[in-house]
Amino acid sequence: MPMPTLPYNPYLFVLLVSVAVTLLMLPISDPSFLPNSALLYVLLVVLIGSALGRRPAILAALCSALLYAHVFVPPRFSLAITEGHYLLSAAIMLTVALLVGHLTASLKHTARQMKAQESRTRALYELARKLAATLTREDIERSTAQFLQAEIPNCTLRVLEPDAGDSLVPPLPASLLEALKQRQQTLRTSHGQPGQTRLLVPMLAASGLHGILVCDLPTPQAEAGLDLERLESIASLAAVALERTHFADAAHQSEMRHSTEVLRNSILSALSHDLRTPLTGLIGIAETLCRGRIAPEQQTSLLTTLHTQALHINRQVGNLLDMARLRSGQVELSKAWQPAEEVLGVILQQAQTQWPARSITVTLAADLPPLYYDAVLMERALWNLLENAVKYSPPDQPIEIHVRREASHALLSVCDRGRGLPQGIDIDALCSMFRRGEPESNIPGMGLGLAIARTIARAHAGDILASNRPGGGACFTLRIPLAPADSPPAPSDVLPCAL
Amino acid sequence: MNTSDTILLVEDDAQIRKFVCIALASEGYAVHEACSAGQAASLAASLRPALLILDLGLPDRDGQHFIQDLRAWSSTPILVLSARSQESDKVKALDAGADDFLTKPFGVSELLARVRALLRRRQQPPLDAAPVIQFGEFRIDCVRRIVTRRGEPVHLTQIEYRLLVFLAANPGRVFTHRQLLLQVWGGHAVDNHQYLRVYVGHLRQKIEANPAQPQHILTEIGVGYRFQP
Repeated sequence: MPMPTLPYNPYLFVLLVSVAVTLLMLPISDPSFLPNSALLYVLLVVLIGSALGRRPAILAALCSALLYAHVFVPPRFSLAITEGHYLLSAAIMLTVALLVGHLTASLKHTARQMKAQESRTRALYELARKLAATLTREDIERSTAQFLQAEIPNCTLRVLEPDAGDSLVPPLPASLLEALKQRQQTLRTSHGQPGQTRLLVPMLAASGLHGILVCDLPTPQAEAGLDLERLESIASLAAVALERTHFADAAHQSEMRHSTEVLRNSILSALSHDLRTPLTGLIGIAETLCRGRIAPEQQTSLLTTLHTQALHINRQVGNLLDMARLRSGQVELSKAWQPAEEVLGVILQQAQTQWPARSITVTLAADLPPLYYDAVLMERALWNLLENAVKYSPPDQPIEIHVRREASHALLSVCDRGRGLPQGIDIDALCSMFRRGEPESNIPGMGLGLAIARTIARAHAGDILASNRPGGGACFTLRIPLAPADSPPAPSDVLPCAL
Repeated sequence: MNTSDTILLVEDDAQIRKFVCIALASEGYAVHEACSAGQAASLAASLRPALLILDLGLPDRDGQHFIQDLRAWSSTPILVLSARSQESDKVKALDAGADDFLTKPFGVSELLARVRALLRRRQQPPLDAAPVIQFGEFRIDCVRRIVTRRGEPVHLTQIEYRLLVFLAANPGRVFTHRQLLLQVWGGHAVDNHQYLRVYVGHLRQKIEANPAQPQHILTEIGVGYRFQP
C-alpha cells in the first residue's frame, strides 16, 4: 500500500522533531526526570510510527536513543555512559522504541489496507447492483467497461461475445479461444500492439462462457502485479448479468413463439373456413360442368360463378400473403416523394374495372404537398379501405375519398353510406387480424383488410382511424405524417443536352 | 390477324401452360411451349418466334439474366409473367429488356390484349416515318415541337415536352422509372425518381382532364408509367 505522499521529506521531519523534543526537555536538568524523558522519546516514536509508517519510526527510535544517550544520560552532552544501569536503560529504551514503532506502523498499515479493501468491496457491490438493474447486453458491457476503466487506468477494454474472436484486431486465434474455454482462467498474451499486454478474462457463469473481457494495457503495468482475482470476479459478476439477460431473451422468445402459435391457429381456422367454402363451390361447379348434362345457359351461369369464386379466393390469398410478408418483417419500405394522386389514380383505375357501376368520387385539397410513402404498400392499404367500403354499403350509394391536410398530417379518408360501425366496437378490435365487425356475416372476407391497412399505415409512422359519419355511414381514414421538410428538392428544368 | 405469328411460351407450371396455350391457339397463333430457360433459349433460336411469353420464376435460371442474354441477339418482344409480390423483379426484367408484364393471376382477355398490342407494335413503322403523334384531343408536331389540344397550343416546358413525346411515341408500352429518367434526363439522373414524379404530375395537370384520374399517363405502381392514347 503506498504511503500518503507528504509535502516534505519524512526522514528530515523525524530528525527535526526529535531535535525539537530534545531541546524542549533540555532545561529540565533534574536527574529524576531521566525515565520520563525516555518515555517521552518512546511516545514520539509511537506517534511517528502511526503517522508516517515503519521506516520513519525506526529512524525516530535510533535518533531518540542517540539523543537520549548523548543529552540526558550523565555525563550529559557526551555519548559516554559511565554507569551500567544507564546503559541498560538506554538499550531497553531503544528496544522498546523499535518494537512499539514497528507494531504501531504495522497496525496502521493493516488498518489502511482494510479500509482500501472495504472501499473496493463497496465498489464491487455497487457494480453488482448496477448490473442487476441493466436489461440489455450493451448496458452490461458499458457498465463493466466504465467500472474497469476506473479500476485499471490505461486499460483499453472490450467485451466480446464468446464466438466473436474475429472481431478483434488482430483476430483472436481459435486455439487461444479454446484454451480460454477449457482452462477457465485469465490468459495473458502479447498479441496486439507492441509493448502492450493483452489480458483475456473469461466471463463465466453457471451456464458457461458468456463473453470475453479483453483488456489491453502497457506491458510494464501488466507485469507490475495486477489483481487478477479481482478482475475475474468482476468478469464473473458481468457474466451472471449477461446470463440473466440471455435467459430473459429466451423467455421473451418463447412467449413470442407462443403468440405466433396462437396466431397460426387463428389463421388456420380462418383459412379452413374462408378458403374452403369457395373452394368447395369451385370443385362442385367444375365437376358439374365436366358431367356435361346441363343446359347451355346454366353452363354460362356456372362458369361465371366459377370465375367470381376464383377471383374471390385470389383476393383472400393475396391478403394472406401481404399479411404474412408484412408480419415477417421482410418488407422493406421503398418510400419516395410523390403526390397523393399517384396512388389514387391507380386505385380509381382498378375500381373502375372491378365495380364499373359504383360511383366513387375524389376530393383533393389543393394545399397538399407531395407525400413520402411506399406506393405499392399505400395502394394496398387504400385499396383495402375502398374494398371494405364497397362491401359494407349498398351498391347504389356513392363512396367518397377525401384527401386533406390537418396540421402535420395528411388524411386520406374513404367514406361510405352504409350502416356505419357497430356500436361499442373500437378501431383496435376492427384492425386485429381475423376480426370482423360482424363475425357471422354473409359478406365474404377474412378480416385481414384493415389489419393490413393498419400495419402499412404504422410502417409509415401513421395510423388508421374510424368514425361514423353524420347522416349515416362510416369513414376510415389513413393518416400519415407530412415529413418535416414539406417537399422534395425541386428538380431542375435544365436539360443536360439540347433536344 | 397474321396467323403465322409464332409465340413461344416459357412457363414451368403445366396448368398455366395449358390454358395460355389453349387461349392463344384459339386466337389463331402458333404456340410452342418450353418449361425451362435452357429449352427456351434453343427454341427461341430455332423458331425465331414473333413473341416470347416468359414466366419469371423459372426453375433453372433467373428470368432477368435470361432476358439479358436473349437481348444480345434478338429483339423479339417479351411479355413477362410474374407473381404479385415481385415488383422489383418486374422492374429488373423490364430494365433488362422485357417489353411488358402481366401479374398472376391474370385474365385471358387481358393476356390476349397484351399479346395483340405487342405484335402490333412490332409491325408498326418506326416513328421517323410519322413526325406527328395524335391521341385524344391532342396533336404533337414533332418537327415544329408544338403540342395542341383541339387546335389550341398547350405550353409545355422542355422536359415535359420530351417526356410526353417519348411516352406518346410508345403507346401501350410500360417504362420503368429508370428507363424514363435515362431517356429524358440522361444517365446522371437515373436515381432521382422524384424528378420523374414531379414532372409526370405537371404533365398530367396540363394534359389530363382529371389529373387524379389520368386517362393517358397511367401509373404502373411500383414499376413505372404506361401511355394510353
